[in-house]
Amino acid sequence: MKIMVCIKQVPHQDARLDVNGAGTWIQEENIKFEINPYDQNALEAALQLKDKEAGTEVVVVSIGPERVTQSLRTALGMGADRAVHVKDGAADGSDSLGTAKILAAVAKAESPDLIFAGFMSDDGNLAATGPMLATLLGIPHTTTAVSFQKNGAIQVERELEGGALEVVELNTPCLVTTQTGMNQVRYASLKGIMAAKKKPIDVKTVADLGLAGQVGADAAKIKIEKLYTPPKGQGAEILSGSVDEVVGKLVGKIKELGLL
Amino acid sequence: MGSILVIAEIQKGKVREASYELVSFARKIGAATNREVKSLVMGQGISAAAEELSKKGGGEVFAADDAALANYNLDAAFAAVKAAIAAASPDVVLVSNTPSGWDLAPRIAASLDAGFAPDCFNVDVEGGELVFLRRFFNGKLDSRLRPTSLPVVATMQPGATAAFDGAAEGKMTPLAVSIGSLGTKFVETKVASAKGVDLTKADVIVSGGRSLGGPEKFQEVIKPLADALGGAMGASRPVVDAGWLPHEYQVGSSGQVVSPKLYVACGISGAIQHLVGMKASNFIIAINKDADAPIFEVADLGVVGDLFEVVPKLTEAVKAAKG
Repeated sequence: MKIMVCIKQVPHQDARLDVNGAGTWIQEENIKFEINPYDQNALEAALQLKDKEAGTEVVVVSIGPERVTQSLRTALGMGADRAVHVKDGAADGSDSLGTAKILAAVAKAESPDLIFAGFMSDDGNLAATGPMLATLLGIPHTTTAVSFQKNGAIQVERELEGGALEVVELNTPCLVTTQTGMNQVRYASLKGIMAAKKKPIDVKTVADLGLAGQVGADAAKIKIEKLYTPPKGQGAEILSGSVDEVVGKLVGKIKELGLL
Repeated sequence: MGSILVIAEIQKGKVREASYELVSFARKIGAATNREVKSLVMGQGISAAAEELSKKGGGEVFAADDAALANYNLDAAFAAVKAAIAAASPDVVLVSNTPSGWDLAPRIAASLDAGFAPDCFNVDVEGGELVFLRRFFNGKLDSRLRPTSLPVVATMQPGATAAFDGAAEGKMTPLAVSIGSLGTKFVETKVASAKGVDLTKADVIVSGGRSLGGPEKFQEVIKPLADALGGAMGASRPVVDAGWLPHEYQVGSSGQVVSPKLYVACGISGAIQHLVGMKASNFIIAINKDADAPIFEVADLGVVGDLFEVVPKLTEAVKAAKG
């Protein structure tokens, strides 16, 4: 079985977020990046299947500049077999659909039996790429998986509102997007990291994939016109003073609420 | 000019509140751009619900009534949407940002080769053009998204606007849907497992976030304050994802939605999915070292500081005040 895992490198959860000069994205210089947390669960789900079924190949795919190599190496260190890196400025500024078109071109060349992708990315929170990729490939998908089972058929529990779950069965090939908390993500072992150095990363351009002119900023059907710090509303009254003073004021308020 | 197609959802046999919110957005766009509002209702035995929507702002309501649509199924729902698109020729499609919306809406956008604006909290019309407003980076930054062409598909956050509740006479049109072979199969819906902790009944909830750093800190820092206040302990999603506390402690759209007399958020930045679960609380105190954390937007009182300094002192002070 071949499994493709789509991963995105995103700013680290604690990274400082400043809007760039053009006001259209964040300032990316000098901030830390990591594999999108949702995609880490996607990769873990694939690696758990590989652990169970001999002969399973896990291919990780990512789009982005040189820095993405680091995340691909991490994924290979965790146990993926090989990587495809679409590294091309022509992909920059793609909307979700453009990103899905790039991933679809890779998927068509790879013909995986199963594709995992994170439910959303931690930067855009768009939750679009996975289902769009499945649509372009003409395969079924499901979203927000919190458990995955393959006993012949593929059965997924997906998250609904208020803690409810929906159980769905899917034909293969199919695509599943994963929720955080679906599994405990492994760390790359030292042995894994050493082995990863020898694993191949296949670098591709947009033209290699036959998509010149079809993706990137100019082909985007929707654009971020402006990214900005949300206007401050009423907001909280921020207490000032020493810790003791602040605590005194909090206790006063809690008394006022009749809770003491 | 095309029409606006509202993809309505059925819940307990009726068109759900979030769909009437879509109607509000659709009518706002419709009035500003001279587009007609049309709707799709799908399910089994839904003609009364569709009829009601047609009298309450949904315009021409296409009713797709089929046993295969009784429970949400991606392929069956998508077939119904395709039939509705063929009948309504929309260039704006509105879907709710709900579990079925997450599944279905991107598929609609990709199949139309359209721009996609998910999880929006508003839509503006500027000189006849649509601009969608949504948050990026878990609520830390806002954005304006502008389609460069039509059609466009957008999903709107439930609760982002008031549900339309006026009377506006439309009509119901039965919609024949040819549902082919299904690539996905609905098996069952499971209700969350029996809860040991029912946060919805607590008068006071003290919640902790990822910055607590580990499960033992909840016992050392959060629980003592919760106990002193006679309340319950809660947590944000990353805490539960990391396995520090079981799911029943999770406050948020995918956990418990609470509205206690007092909610104390400690080291919680305030991702949207958490805010949805607690913003209806009567009084909110937030303690966080990041002054820009979105939690301060919904809080009544804020402390910008180290929770490890503030919370233990607050616990002692609460105990002292009780005598």
